[in-house]
Parts: sequence; C-alpha cells; structure tokens
Amino acid sequence: MDHDLTIMMLTWEFPPRTIGGISPHVYYLSKSLAKNGAKVYVVTCDFPGAPQHEVLDGVEVFRIDSYKNPSPDFATWVYLMNMNMQKEAAALAKSLKAKVDLFHAHDWLVATAGIGLKHVFRRPLFATMHSTEIGRRNGIHSDYERMIHETEAWLTYEAWKVICCSDYMVSHVRWAFGLPPDKMMMIPNGVNADVYAAIKKNELSQFRSRFALPEEKIVLFVGRLVHEKGVHVLVNAAPKVLEKVNAKIIIVGNGYMKEQLSGIVKGMGIAHKVLFTGFVDDETLRGLQTCADVSVVPSLFEPFGIVALEAMAAKSPVVVSDTGGLAEIVDHDVDGVKVYPGNPDSLAWGITRILTDETNANRLRSNACKKIQERFNWDRIAQQTMGVYEAVLGEYSKSFWAQKS
Amino acid sequence: MREIIFSWEYPPRIVGQLAAYVKTLAVQLVTSQTEPYVVTYDDYLTGEYDEPEGVKTFRVTNPVHTHIGVLTWVLTLNQEVERVAANIYYDKSRQVDLIDVHDWHFIPAAVTLKKALNIPFVYSVESLEDHRSHGSNSPFNMAIKSIEWLGMYEASRLVVKSEWMRDEAFRLHRAPIEKMNVIPPGSTGWMKGILAVYKNTAEAGAS
Repeated sequence: MDHDLTIMMLTWEFPPRTIGGISPHVYYLSKSLAKNGAKVYVVTCDFPGAPQHEVLDGVEVFRIDSYKNPSPDFATWVYLMNMNMQKEAAALAKSLKAKVDLFHAHDWLVATAGIGLKHVFRRPLFATMHSTEIGRRNGIHSDYERMIHETEAWLTYEAWKVICCSDYMVSHVRWAFGLPPDKMMMIPNGVNADVYAAIKKNELSQFRSRFALPEEKIVLFVGRLVHEKGVHVLVNAAPKVLEKVNAKIIIVGNGYMKEQLSGIVKGMGIAHKVLFTGFVDDETLRGLQTCADVSVVPSLFEPFGIVALEAMAAKSPVVVSDTGGLAEIVDHDVDGVKVYPGNPDSLAWGITRILTDETNANRLRSNACKKIQERFNWDRIAQQTMGVYEAVLGEYSKSFWAQKS
Repeated sequence: MREIIFSWEYPPRIVGQLAAYVKTLAVQLVTSQTEPYVVTYDDYLTGEYDEPEGVKTFRVTNPVHTHIGVLTWVLTLNQEVERVAANIYYDKSRQVDLIDVHDWHFIPAAVTLKKALNIPFVYSVESLEDHRSHGSNSPFNMAIKSIEWLGMYEASRLVVKSEWMRDEAFRLHRAPIEKMNVIPPGSTGWMKGILAVYKNTAEAGAS
C-alpha cells in the first residue's frame, strides 16, 4: 500500500456517549490501531457538549447529526440515524485525500450505513458482532425482534469478515445466521489496566466509607439491571451470603428491573445491606471496582463479559457464571471462581468462598492480573486486528472490485 | 446522457398513478436518444432484470423480510437501490449523468450517491406527506416529511407537476421557488422540459 492503512469505524456510541460496551471497545481499539500506524476515522452519533470533530489520542472522531425528531420506536430511529450517518460518512470519505481502505461496523445499529458505504465506495466491510437480538431476548418473539435479527443476518452476509470477541460468540453467531467458519474471526476484547493503576490508594478508604462500613466486605455488581445480566440471582443469593459474612452488596447500573429488585430486597429485610447506586461516572466506578472484595458477574447471557476483565484489572477477585464469554475469561480456581448460571446457592457459595479465605483470594487476584496483561491487552488486540485487515485487503486486491474500480 | 430513475412503483407493479407516469417517462427517454435505467421494487412476475420497451429495469427486493412499518421497509430497501445504482455507475466507467428520484422513498439512496460519487439528482414530486396524511404530525409522518425536506435541500432541481404543488413545496418545506420547474405531465413541451432539466442538472454537476 502506498499510504497508511485507512480505516473508517462506524459506531452508534463513542465516548463521551457511552450506553454499553461498544463505546469503550471502539475507543480502545481505534486508539491502539492508531498507535500501531493506522489512520482511523470514527464516525459516531453526536452528544451534548462533545465537538463535531476532534482528534482524540490520534483518532479522528466525527460526530454526525443523529436523527433528533421524535421517532416511532427505537429500531426506526436506528434506520433514520443510519441514513444521516451514511450521508455524512460518504461526504467525509469522499473529501479525504487518502482513500478509505475499509469500513468497520459495530453491531446492527450501524448495519445499513456500513452496507451502503461498502457498495458506493466498493471497499471491504468488516462487522464486529458484540451481541445478537436472538441472544439478548433468548429467542425471537415478535416482528420487531425478527426485523432486527434479519438486519443482523444481512450485515454478517455483507461483511467480508465477521469478528466476535469470544469463542462462545463465534459459535453463537454461526448458529444464529448460518455463517461459514472461514468467515468468522475471534479477537478478544481488551481492558486498559493503566486506569486502575493510576488510582491513588491512600485516598481509597475515605472513598470506600461513602459506600460501606469498614467492617463490611464489598460485593460489587456492575451492569444493566436486566434479566440477561442475572442481577436477580445475586439478590436471591444475598441472604445466604449475609448469613456467613458481614457484607455490603453494591449494585451499580440502571434498568427495568430496578424497582422490582429493591422491592424484593426490602421484603427480605436486608435493604440496609444492599445499595443501588444507579449509573455512576467512570471515576466512581473504577474506585468501586478497586475497593471491591469480590466482583460478581452472574449473567445468564454474556457474549463477552468486559466487566469481569475490568474487575480483574482492578485486582478484585471475581465470581462469574460459567456461561458464554465469561467461561473463557476465567479458569476456575486459578484466576477466579465459576458458578452455575441462574443458581443463587451456587453464587452464594462462590462469593463466600472468596470472602472467607483471604490467602486464596489474593492468589486469584495475582493470577488474574497476569492473565489480563498477557491475553487482553489492547496493543496485542490491535495487532491481531491489523493482521485480519491486511489479509482481507490482500484478497480484495485480486477481486474485480479492486481491478475495475 | 445516462440517467437512473428511482421509483418505488413501476409496471407491472402499480400502486397509484406514479407507475404509469414513470413508465411513459422512461420510454420517452429511450426515444429521445438517452440511456435511462430504472431501479424499482421487485415484482414476482419479472425477476431482477428485464428490458421492457428498451428500458433497462432493475428490480430489487428487501433483504430484511420482516418489518414493523413502511418506514423501516423503505429505509432498508434503500440500500439495495443504492447498491444497484453504484453497480451501474462502476459498470459504465463512472459515467452516470444524474439520478431522477420520484417521491420520497429513495431519497436517502440518492443523497448518499451524490455525496460519495458526485452524481447529482433531480427530485420529482408526485405528492407530499402533509397532503397524504392530512397534516398529521406523528413521529412517523415527521420522519417522512424530514426525508422530503432532505430531498428538496440536496436535489439540484425539483420537478413539480403543477403550480399548486410548487407553492405547496414552498409553503411546507421552504423549497426555493427558483429551484423548481413546473412541468405538467402530458402538456406540450413536457419531454422537452424534462430533458432541459436533466441537461442543466448534468452540466452543473453535484456540488
């Protein structure tokens, strides 16, 4: 190639707009690709206070006018937003001196924009499937869900390569859309351990006192309060944990189950032992993850489980359900504890096991930390991604698109 | 001159009056020594490509079969319209003079093609959402109106079929009067008027 590899990333969320895991994923991936010599343009939705264009850690970020009229429903908004994204991304790609070598779309939320740009510029399209509708909903139950499912299938059909963050997700996506194995690629998600290393340890005890008494062990859950995250399993395990250990269960995040869950907690008579914080900022979150005596990820469906990686990077011992991507991140009794998904007794056992044996907890902590640095570091992930890009561009150069256009 | 016509209805798929109008237009454009392509929605009788009366006609289907409304159906179908138009562009050594979009349905595709490939477009107004929905402003109607507005903003020229429609396009979307050509179908000089608009659009380019 006569110029730096030029990549256009499409994503509906990018910091400071953070809704789920795609935002940090695209941020760290883009930043690490730029560090490794690629020119990266991120096209994403606008956000109050964030500039339309900025250069962030070597990455060119363009925030488009997402569709702001009231929309009939979320999915229709997604397609309308994609119309705007496609329009602005096309104008941007056209205005660049160096041609965009490839487009990389994250989830169905930018499917139609990615597909359109692929065809008008005749460049390869990559798709990372972070999740699926059929997985999120545990089946397809309505036309609305089927429409999203079929849009996901279309995106994977149009993509040259489909990237997933875990072996579990590769097999799930293959099953959901009937994709051939050579179209799939597993590249793990990463975590940035530096942000946890930067936390000042001497200020932590005061920070901690805002959430728990000194004698209480902190059991931390971070995630959306929805069924698939299994937060109700933790709530049901709480009395069993509290029988054996003096602990404070801190639940970070929002979701439709919040009221129902706090009602259950009141009914159990343990409201003083369970704290619902709602959504917290990054600094508070990282502080909590560092203070946590155990971090719990009780998901029923989990494509990857970035929150487990974050906990490991924060040197908090983890208890995860033995499912999905989580099962691949943690080796049981080596760098964390695995429990049966959806089983409060098993979860309570895992939590108490860590809280009652400090030597063991410390062993898990240090093994987990080592694993993070070796397997889940963004530099390594960026290099793997570059490898996939280059292999595809090699194949592409022999195609009639490259020859004719 | 090589032009691509976008219309969501085209015989044998007839929904309203638009199909017959676009058909007459396309056939006349062949007779007038231009090279029209029609890109339209699939009809199970025809297959994906045919050339009735010399008009090269591509018919696309929607890869997403299940929909919750016209809007999601149209917005996804746009990608296939866009793909076929891009294929024509590349197959013809990047020589496409303009796109003529009939009504709002395929405006998103025309806008992306303009931005990406510098193909200018004409927006031919058959009807407007405000009239069709009797002034309703639900989120659904608003979305269609905003697409009409986008088309009027991005198009090189607007073809309207009556002076009344010209005034309505101005009243509802503030489309500049000087951007509009009133060309009543079937009037003497109809084809001449259309060809003049096409010629001006092609010569002015997309910027």
